[in-house]
This record gives sequence, C-alpha cells and structure tokens, in this order.
Amino acid sequence: MTSPVPDTRESLILRLPDRQDVEAWDEFTAIYQPLVYRLARVKGLQHADAQELVQEVMLAVSRAVDRWEPDAQRGRFRDWLFCISRNLMINFLTRKKHRPLGSGDSGIERLLRDQCDPASEQSQLYDLEYQREVFRQVAAQVRTEVNEKAWQAFWRSSVENQAIEAVAGQLGMSVGAVYIARSRILARLRRSAAKYLAADHSESDGLVRGNR
Amino acid sequence: MNDKVVHCEDSRLEVLLSGGEASDLFLQSSEHIQSCERCQKRLTELAGPEKSWRQIGKLLNSVSEYETTKETESMPDYRADLEGILDAPSHPELLGRLGRYEIERVIGSGGMGIVLRGFDSDLNRPVAIKILARHLAHSGAARQRFARESRAAAAVVHEHVVAIHNVETGGPTPFLVMQYVAGESLQARVDQSGPLDAKEVLRIGIQAAAGLHAAHEQGVIHRDIKPANILLEHGVDRALVTDFGLARTVDDATLTQTGIIAGTPHYMSPEQANGGATDERTDLFSLGAVLYFMATGRPPFRAEHALGVLNRICNGPHKPLWRVNPDVPDELSEIVDRLLEKKPKRRFAGAADVQNALTQCLARLQQRGPRRYGRLIRLWRRHRKVVATIALAVAAVVGLVLLFPATDGDQSSGTAPAIELPEFSVEIWQQASEDEERQWQQSLQEVDQMLTRLEAESARSDTGTSQHWDAQVESIEKQLNQLQDDDFLQP
Repeated sequence: MTSPVPDTRESLILRLPDRQDVEAWDEFTAIYQPLVYRLARVKGLQHADAQELVQEVMLAVSRAVDRWEPDAQRGRFRDWLFCISRNLMINFLTRKKHRPLGSGDSGIERLLRDQCDPASEQSQLYDLEYQREVFRQVAAQVRTEVNEKAWQAFWRSSVENQAIEAVAGQLGMSVGAVYIARSRILARLRRSAAKYLAADHSESDGLVRGNR
Repeated sequence: MNDKVVHCEDSRLEVLLSGGEASDLFLQSSEHIQSCERCQKRLTELAGPEKSWRQIGKLLNSVSEYETTKETESMPDYRADLEGILDAPSHPELLGRLGRYEIERVIGSGGMGIVLRGFDSDLNRPVAIKILARHLAHSGAARQRFARESRAAAAVVHEHVVAIHNVETGGPTPFLVMQYVAGESLQARVDQSGPLDAKEVLRIGIQAAAGLHAAHEQGVIHRDIKPANILLEHGVDRALVTDFGLARTVDDATLTQTGIIAGTPHYMSPEQANGGATDERTDLFSLGAVLYFMATGRPPFRAEHALGVLNRICNGPHKPLWRVNPDVPDELSEIVDRLLEKKPKRRFAGAADVQNALTQCLARLQQRGPRRYGRLIRLWRRHRKVVATIALAVAAVVGLVLLFPATDGDQSSGTAPAIELPEFSVEIWQQASEDEERQWQQSLQEVDQMLTRLEAESARSDTGTSQHWDAQVESIEKQLNQLQDDDFLQP
C-alpha cells in the first residue's frame, strides 16, 4: 500500500536502544499499516479517511512506545506492540462512529490498557484480518525464496484445492514431488508466521503449532 | 517389507520437509514417497495439521482476491466524495452544478479537498473550484479558518498570484472559486523535463517572489510554498502562486489533532517544523527550497522518512547548490544559501529583497554568459585560505606558462610540478607567521585577479593555447577538489 504514512522509525530508533526492537517495529509497521487500512475499509471508511486513520493509529502507537520499558513481566517488545495495537484497533472497530483518537494521553492509555473481549465479533474480525495480513506477507516472502514450480504445486493443490495428480500433470512433476513441494512450503509458511502469531491472543495455535 | 519400514520413519520425512534438497537422504526419500501413500499422508501431517492446511489455504485464497481488487481500491473515487455536494447538471456531459457554477470535471485533489474545473455562467469564464474536504468541512475550527484566510487571500490582487473570485462558506460545503490557470505546476514541469536552467530558475523565482511580496504586503503569509503550489501558465509561461493561507485550514483540522503533517514536509521552514512562531520569512525559506528544487530536481533536505526530513530541515546543513549542479551561477547558489538559513533573521528581510537579488543575478547572467572557468574560480573563492598555498604555486606555473607559450609537446612538463605541490605548501602554511600572513593576503588578491584575468584571456586565445590551458586548469581543479573532499567536507 502506498500511503503517505509518516514514518516514526527514526525517532523510535533513538528511543529503542535494542536493535532487535527496531527490527520488531519494522516488521510491525509492515504488517500493521495495511491491516489497519483494510479494517477501516471493512468498516466503511473512504480511501482517504482510511489512510488518515492509519496515520492516527501509527502515531498513537508510536507515542505509546514512550511508555515501553523492558520488563520481564511484560515480555518482549514485539509481543507488547502487537498486543496494544490489537486492543487499539478492536476498540476502534467497536465504536459506532469514527472519532479522531486525539492526543489526550489518558485516552490512549486507557485504549492500550483495556482488555478486549476475545469472543466479541470485533475481536474475531480483527484476528482474521490480522492472520490474513501475516500470511499475505509471509507468502509473498516465501514465494521469492522457492522455485516458482514448487510454489505453483503448493498453491494449486492447497489454496485452489486441485487434486495432487492433476497438479502433477499440469506442472510436469511427479506426484511425490508435488507432495514434497507443498509440504515444504506449508511448513515454511508456518515457521515464518509463528513469530507474529505467537503474540496473538487469538486461536491461531492450530495455524502454527502442533505436530512439530 | 523390511526395507519399507526403514523408509517410513518420520526422521526421513523431516529431511524432505526442511533438509537440503541435494543430500543423498533427500533423494532416497523423495524416490520412496513417489509410491508410498502412507508416507505421502504422513509428510502432509508433519508439515501441519489438517486444520492449518485448511485455514492457510482459505486465508491465502482470500488474499489473492484482495490482491486483485487492490488496484481499484487505491484509485480515489471522487464520485462518492462529490455525492450530495453537487446539484444535477444542466447538461448530461457535465458533472453537476454548484450554485451558479457548472462543474465540468475533477482537476485533482489535495490535502484540503477536491479541485474542480467549472464555468461561471454569470460572468462567462472558466474557474477552478476548491471544495473543502468533508472531514475539514465538519471541523468548526477548519471552517472558520478557511473563511477567514481565504477572504484575506482574496484581497491579494497580483499578476503572479492566482486570483480568488469568490468564497462560499455559508452552505454545508464551503468552497472557493479561483481563477482558472491553464498550465501545469512547477512540480509537474520538473518531474517531466528535469532541472531547469539557471535563467529559467531565476525567471520563475523572480515572479514567485513578486507574488509573495504582494501577499506579504497584505499581511497574508502562504505557509505552504512548494513546487505544486506554483503554477506555470501555458503559452506565456507566467508563474502564479496559489493556495495562499490554506495550509492553516488543514493544520487546524488535522495537525493539532494528530500531530501529523499533511502533505510533503520537504519545503517546510525550520520554525514550522519546530512548531515555533512563523512570519513572512517562513515563505522565504520555502522559496529557497523551491529554487533549489528547480535547479537540481530535488529538494534540499531529503531523508527516507518524513521525520528524517524534518530533522534535516532543523539541524542539517544543505549541500550547496553549486556542488549539486555546477552549472548554477555562484550568485544564485548564495541567494539560496541565504534563503535556507535556519534562523529567520539571517534570511532576506523580505520577498522584495529576494526579488531584487534574483533580478540582478539574472541581469548579470544575461550580460556575460556562463563563466568559462567558473568552477575553479568558485573553489578559489570558497576556500581562499586553504587553497591559497596551492594557488600561489599554481601562479608560479601560470607565470612559467605565460613566459614560455606552450606547444602541444610540453603539456606533461606543465602538469607534473602541480601534482607535487600540496604537501609542500601545507608545510609552508603551518610555518607562516602573522607578518607572512599579511603578505599572503596581498598575494591572495593577486592570484584572485590573475585567475579572473586568466578567465578573460582564455576566451580570446587561439585553440592551441586554449587546449593547453584546459589541461592545466583541469589538473589544478582536480587537486583543489581533492583537497576539498579530504579536509573540508563542509564548506
């Protein structure tokens, strides 16, 4: 998405002495910006308004980073970041009308602190969109790392649900090769997605854990 | 049978999942899986439970739908924005009607709202209509500011300012009726045809400064001078400044609430970036940045991100114009330096002074044409002290060459001593006492004059000598540049 989101990265780098935290922020913005945009559109906002919301939310989160202190109890920066953002967005989705998030610190503080009902419709919508964004990005990355034929074997057999034999025939691969390609790629997608979904409170466990 | 049991171990399948594809084990196992249904099933399970196969497949499937619809999503849909604002058109080919104005089409949109091309049916002339964006129209502060600022801007009547004909703030949708300028913005011009030549930069700069002066006289500050806000009229190539005072309308609605700067920050002044008090001189800084952009094709302060740009504007020195584009006359480079001073009081006192300085610069440029050895002379002027020792030595070479007019053959003997000079001369410099320094100053002037004379003479000399001179000058220049890069990164 090409939105004129002002990047808070530079000032954050000063605030986050740990290089890993800066990387976490980069990953966070990559996933979170399109996510907020899409949720805003789902909620019926116009393109321009949705972009503005993205800006507001990113700024609110970046301000909140001031309050981040390394603390064993609060866990990793990445987990914390994704957690407050989830609360923020679910709260936004719950409100009837869009109001600017404002700069009153108490308001943001509350948004960040509040725990949202995980069973609510908004939580589920958020979690679904979140997973979608994570897998969209992870898939785009993995696709560049594997050979295109293997990717097609995975895509056609598991996303488009075509029969393995048919896919093997289309791509001129052996059935065994299709099995290997699709399994390798799925395992890889799950591995890559795990670090984003681990922090998530949602029922994503089945997506990335189990069996291994 | 025994063979099969060995092959069906999970560890073998793990190799297929994440091991290297060239290993013997991988090849053996992949051969095996071709025919073993049990292993095919087990491999699938090892990659992920059935549920995750299903979910990931579904997620990625919806992603692909999203990807294909994304193109259309990011296309702005003006129709939705204009809905409820325009009345039915009087002619089917038109978009609609707004009061006495027939709306023909959408020209563009900006941070403030949509710009329409319309026709004033009463006065029978084309107009540009700016509609305040919906989110701004809903903000009381923005509405009031819009009304106040645009009325003030309407009082500015000048050939280099886009005229405001009418301000409508009574209805549900405030809008502004302006003179329609057939042409393109400075931004579009430079994007399409690259940096402009010095005379063009000066010409447009003079006109923009004149427009600014007229507005400042009326107490109207622009606050958002940027290439996109300078329009170039087709045919006559007249420059007009547009959108006076509107920057603050947007500020009221968005900046104060979110702290985020709308639009490009590249042309903002340090006092604006800091949120400090601004006056007319903020426009002068922005004008300096625009001149810089015209001459080089890029703004003076660049960074990957908006905050980085703001930081550079406030704290970082810009790279002098003449270093980015050597063809820029020294004088223009200096005017831009002065406009881009971080402290307002160190800039020009007013737009009229800028206009004068630019006009004089243009006059001189038209009189004498580009300098032949401009770069060398420029280096000299900028680094008098440092360059002095080398220049003195060069003077000796120059003297020699003048005494013994060159032939093509002895070019090498002319350049050789020049290469050895720097270390030697730095020593001299270090030893120099105050008395010597005074003598030096005198010599410096002499060298300066000599170089100027050299420049004048070189224009007249015949080709043979001229070639020799060019070679000389090139080698001198190379050394000066070298010295500059080594020790004086910040001129």
